[in-house]
Amino acid sequence: MVVGGGIAGMQTALDLAESGFYVYLVEKQAGIGGVMAQLDKTFPTNDCAM
Amino acid sequence: MADNFEPVIIGFLCNWCAYAGGDLAGVSRLQYPPNMRAIRVMCSGMVHPHLVVEALQKGADGVLVMG
Amino acid sequence: MTLSEVVKVDGAMGNFTVTVQQNPRYIDMEKCIACGLCAEKCPKKVPSEFDYGMGNRKAAYILYGQAVPLKYAIDADTCIYFKNGKCKACEKFCPTGAVNFADTAKTVEVNVGAVVLTPGFKPFDPSIFDYYNYQQLPDVVTSLEYERLLSASGPCMGHLVRPSDQTEPKKIAWLQCVGSRGINKCDNGFCSSVCCMYAIKQAIVTKEHTTGDVSQTIFYMDIRSHGKEFEKYYVDAEKKGIRFLRSRPHTFIPGKEGKGVKLEYVDETGNLFTEEFDMMVMSIGLEAPASAKDLAAKLGIELDKYNFAKCSSFDPVQASKDGIYVAGCFQAPKDIPQSVVEASSAAAKASIALAEAKGSLAKTKTYPAEQDVAGQEPKVGVFVCSCGINIAGVVDVKDVAEYAKGLPNVVYVENNMFTCSADTQVLIAEKIKEHGLNRVVIAACTPRTHEPLFKDTLREAGLNEYLVEMANIRNQNSWVHANDPVKATAKAKDQVRMAVAKVSLLTPLEYLSLDVVQQALVIGGGLSGMTAALGLADQGFETVLLEKTERLGGNAWNLNSTWKGEEVVPQVEKMVQKVESHPKITVYKKAELKTCVGSVGNFVSDVSVNGETKVVKYGAAVVCTGGKEYKPTEYLHGQDQRVYTHSEFDALMRKDSAELAKSESVVFIQCVGSREPERPYCSRVCCTHSVESALKLKKLNPNMNIYVLNRDIRTYGVREDLYTEARKQGVIFVRYELEKKPQVSKQGDDLIVEIEDHILHRPLKIKADRLVLASAIIANESKNLVELYKCATNSEGFLTEAHPKLRPVDMSVDGLFLAGLCHYPKPIDEAIAQAQAAVSRAGVILAKSVMPLDSIKSVVTDKCDGCALCVDTCPYFAIKLVSYADEDGREHKRIETDKALCKGCGICMATCPKGGVNVMGFTYNQIKAQIYSALQSA
Repeated sequence: MVVGGGIAGMQTALDLAESGFYVYLVEKQAGIGGVMAQLDKTFPTNDCAM
Repeated sequence: MADNFEPVIIGFLCNWCAYAGGDLAGVSRLQYPPNMRAIRVMCSGMVHPHLVVEALQKGADGVLVMG
Repeated sequence: MTLSEVVKVDGAMGNFTVTVQQNPRYIDMEKCIACGLCAEKCPKKVPSEFDYGMGNRKAAYILYGQAVPLKYAIDADTCIYFKNGKCKACEKFCPTGAVNFADTAKTVEVNVGAVVLTPGFKPFDPSIFDYYNYQQLPDVVTSLEYERLLSASGPCMGHLVRPSDQTEPKKIAWLQCVGSRGINKCDNGFCSSVCCMYAIKQAIVTKEHTTGDVSQTIFYMDIRSHGKEFEKYYVDAEKKGIRFLRSRPHTFIPGKEGKGVKLEYVDETGNLFTEEFDMMVMSIGLEAPASAKDLAAKLGIELDKYNFAKCSSFDPVQASKDGIYVAGCFQAPKDIPQSVVEASSAAAKASIALAEAKGSLAKTKTYPAEQDVAGQEPKVGVFVCSCGINIAGVVDVKDVAEYAKGLPNVVYVENNMFTCSADTQVLIAEKIKEHGLNRVVIAACTPRTHEPLFKDTLREAGLNEYLVEMANIRNQNSWVHANDPVKATAKAKDQVRMAVAKVSLLTPLEYLSLDVVQQALVIGGGLSGMTAALGLADQGFETVLLEKTERLGGNAWNLNSTWKGEEVVPQVEKMVQKVESHPKITVYKKAELKTCVGSVGNFVSDVSVNGETKVVKYGAAVVCTGGKEYKPTEYLHGQDQRVYTHSEFDALMRKDSAELAKSESVVFIQCVGSREPERPYCSRVCCTHSVESALKLKKLNPNMNIYVLNRDIRTYGVREDLYTEARKQGVIFVRYELEKKPQVSKQGDDLIVEIEDHILHRPLKIKADRLVLASAIIANESKNLVELYKCATNSEGFLTEAHPKLRPVDMSVDGLFLAGLCHYPKPIDEAIAQAQAAVSRAGVILAKSVMPLDSIKSVVTDKCDGCALCVDTCPYFAIKLVSYADEDGREHKRIETDKALCKGCGICMATCPKGGVNVMGFTYNQIKAQIYSALQSA
């Protein structure tokens, strides 16, 4: 079980699922993505955070 | 040559470097003239010389192969 | 499980029972089609938490446009029906009857083997500082609010305006360390690690979101750009005219008519200034999440004094209880790449703990049967994306869509706000069925990031995934031709026409797969390499570990302790012993990689081991070739016995601390060889190392005079506590600028360090008994490796990762991963986390015995006459000549491609004089069609 659906939680869940585990991802909000989804760009490449 | 000459350039862009560079130019908001029409290829080595000739024959003012 | 919270956890590793409360959504996820009518009809506007209250949402809402899962929810706290018992507008208008006001909270019990905690952070609330007037001044915003103001999906659609009067700000300032590095009112003694960089980013990005001139000022204490490529970003920002002011304004005074902010500050010369700004951004810190204490209590794990999870440097994601792991900002404040590293690291730890149960419950995704499009006339659907305003702000997307309708073979065209959103995928699939589409063009962003998504959509809709083509009208059009909408629109039409021309000729491709050698290779036997080898072996994979010297352990033998005070050498000894006795690890010392053939899943290398050649087969490799300390030539190093590097000084401390205690004065010089034109990066670990050594010296002799000459002190994260402690104990920190480096000379027998004091503005002359140079960390030579694997390094010789944010341990070559100093200077805890992350990433490849392959491969055509010209030109040795018999039994030769080795580069295709070989998805005729189509308008 992964508690928290931000960037870290999503990556853990993906890695585990791709390695052959069944994963529960628990998120308190109505959707996953966390704070990174709220960011406009990321440094140092100025890539779109979405 | 007329002042309002707008060349049409065919660009062959390697997916792994030049095309990625083109994407990065976008991400970095670098501005350049909109005269190139990009064709994404898996490697600039894939561009057959005949394709370059065909482009020029069909009216391209220039051909860029970037990889 | 969304809208869910952990209520209770029982049991132990391998068998936890977790009670989860699922709060009611009041909308049936199965029925909701995300049409948005509920939100449209909902009469109740509430401030959107996603936009930090600067925009509105309805009581029936989705979190944001690209939300996953894309299902609406009703917020019972604000919904009119739940307050007054009347309304139900959403229920009335919902076309699928998904609204269910009788929905209740459910409690479910889940049995799991391991728990990973990634609750994130709490943005610091600056309201407690009355002198910043955050609540009173509309134009004072937090950095996260500012992020939303900049965002194209934010409250002002990406065109920055200030809150007080909705005009564009021309003069913006940032104040750093709000809620970080302060124990006066907020008790957050730590550095939040990310604010310097995000402030610089916001300052740079601001230019893109405003028109005309805008000036940006950053008020800071130390700029902490200690990550990979960060220092260059900072230097670049200075060059771009962003003003960096080392100063701390105290009070935010309202500007004229309550708009903007007036500041008084003292600069480094000691002069007082008054300045007005249109907007003020507070770079707020990252606190432990509000749920930290509660979670810790439920799970029985320990927290530190700031409520971050307690972890050891040698096991950085392991919480204080078996089977529970932490990652991201709950562990300590950190940036995205480090969070992603820890996330994979936690996955590796959980994967090792539960190695036996692997694969027992996983389900595989199944797709509907594929329709046979061979022989069908092309029927093309074109989807033109607005990408919010990213495309539509420049390119006239409606015009492009209208134009596309007239193109040959096109039977359906649509314009979407976000073509990548989950609801649009459903829509595309519907349109494929409705209109019998057998080819799809997506005019949006770049196929390099988004093609996989649309391929999957096609597959879900029963089409071969290779029947989609993207027209890149964002990255290579609207973003780069922002000032020329007319020509950009014309170009977009050309791009769509070219894509339609190509897609019409695309054919379905066969899905290929590859058998995987479920064994691993680790290159380099330092701490990172040993961690990676142990992790892989503990997951059950046979692992070969190569070490170029005679001894495992690498640089770690030269270190005394981690910043948390844990001794290093005993840990290294333990680890070496574990590695050498592990039944699944083969250690080759004095070993060097000589060759490499094959690719992800199937590598074969010759390895020279003590002069003898051995063959190693592996499916994935972790590169941990490490780095070393730069040996300075400056500051009399090598000329005077009293001048040391950090590792030399650590050795002295181990050997003769009694003698060392007699020193009256010790000087540290920071950034020796780092942050200079020759090595324009920060070595990340040296500030903490110096502060740590200074504290040790103070312990040996409290009266010792210790000076740390620095350019910025970069004790990021909770390391800041050490810096605070050092100042408390009287360690003197003197700053210097790159242009005015300290001078070291020998005057008589005395070692003299001269520097201009940054506060007194007077020259300072220090007689030093010892001088410690915090010298740079440089990457070990990796030229051989780069050539063998065709991977890459940055300009300073550090190996390059696949993506700086999201794939920080993957290399650009599939099947290769990296960890430790070969990637960038880093302390032990981060190197170990990265090595564990590499274990997880490599484990993803090794877990399956069969791996799917890309279908873009070269294929022989009937025109091949076996001339073999292409055989020699193939850089991957993927083509060989084979014999075959024709119908009459006559023998002929032609080429054959090894699908595992072929990368689809098509050099064969360009070499062949007769069209005897084609690359699927990029055939000669498909490219020709694009050329002809591009030149149609000319």
